[in-house]
Amino acid sequence: MTYKIQIDDLVRDATAEEAAAIEAGQAEAQAQADALALKQAARQAVLDKLGLTADEAQALLG
Amino acid sequence: MAYTSSQIVQAVPTGINSALVLISSTTIGTTVSSVAISNAFSSTYDNYKIIVSGGISSASNAGFIYMGTGALPASGYYRFTFSGVYSGTTVTGFNSSNGAAWGGTFQTSTDSSHTSFELFSPNLAKNTHIISTCARSATTANALFTGGYLADTTQYTGFTFAPDAGTLTGGTVRVYGYTNS
Repeated sequence: MTYKIQIDDLVRDATAEEAAAIEAGQAEAQAQADALALKQAARQAVLDKLGLTADEAQALLG
Repeated sequence: MAYTSSQIVQAVPTGINSALVLISSTTIGTTVSSVAISNAFSSTYDNYKIIVSGGISSASNAGFIYMGTGALPASGYYRFTFSGVYSGTTVTGFNSSNGAAWGGTFQTSTDSSHTSFELFSPNLAKNTHIISTCARSATTANALFTGGYLADTTQYTGFTFAPDAGTLTGGTVRVYGYTNS
């Protein structure tokens, strides 16, 4: 895939190495997003068991 | 009497003990996957404010920032982020421990997003610290608050930021230095 990158005022196509760096960054970000989604799913599962909304649980915790 | 912009900048420190001085202003291009600013930091200032505002993205995503203008670093980035959507009171926390960048420190939007990064000692032979805030408007509009540091004493002169996915179009990156005295 071709990416465009900007360095100061210059916009140009990324080299193969730069494209690999962009994809590595995006993969790292996706891994973090996946971890967060898992955490949120686990949290929601607990709320579902308790029959509470997130706001109600927050109110209980003060 | 008319003053040039350089004369005005020189006049500020003499009358005010603390001030923000504009170092650079860069317009973000069209559909770029990353933006690097190469001559942002120097020995003139210890601490900096970077404002990224006014642009849009091809999709609403999180984004990351790292020091330097080269390839994504391997490790050393630590941060904790609070995030919340405007439609509820739930606060979600997420972190990076020894990550490859300060991930999730801003969010892009197809509507509008504004971020303020505060960077501490990026050009000193010390760890660089970051505090950032971001507010965006979009379908899942939310706000982010981040604090973190880079376990690395390299003296950086630039930085790079990028969306997790998609591209950025338009908006401005303004770098300011905080006068030291």
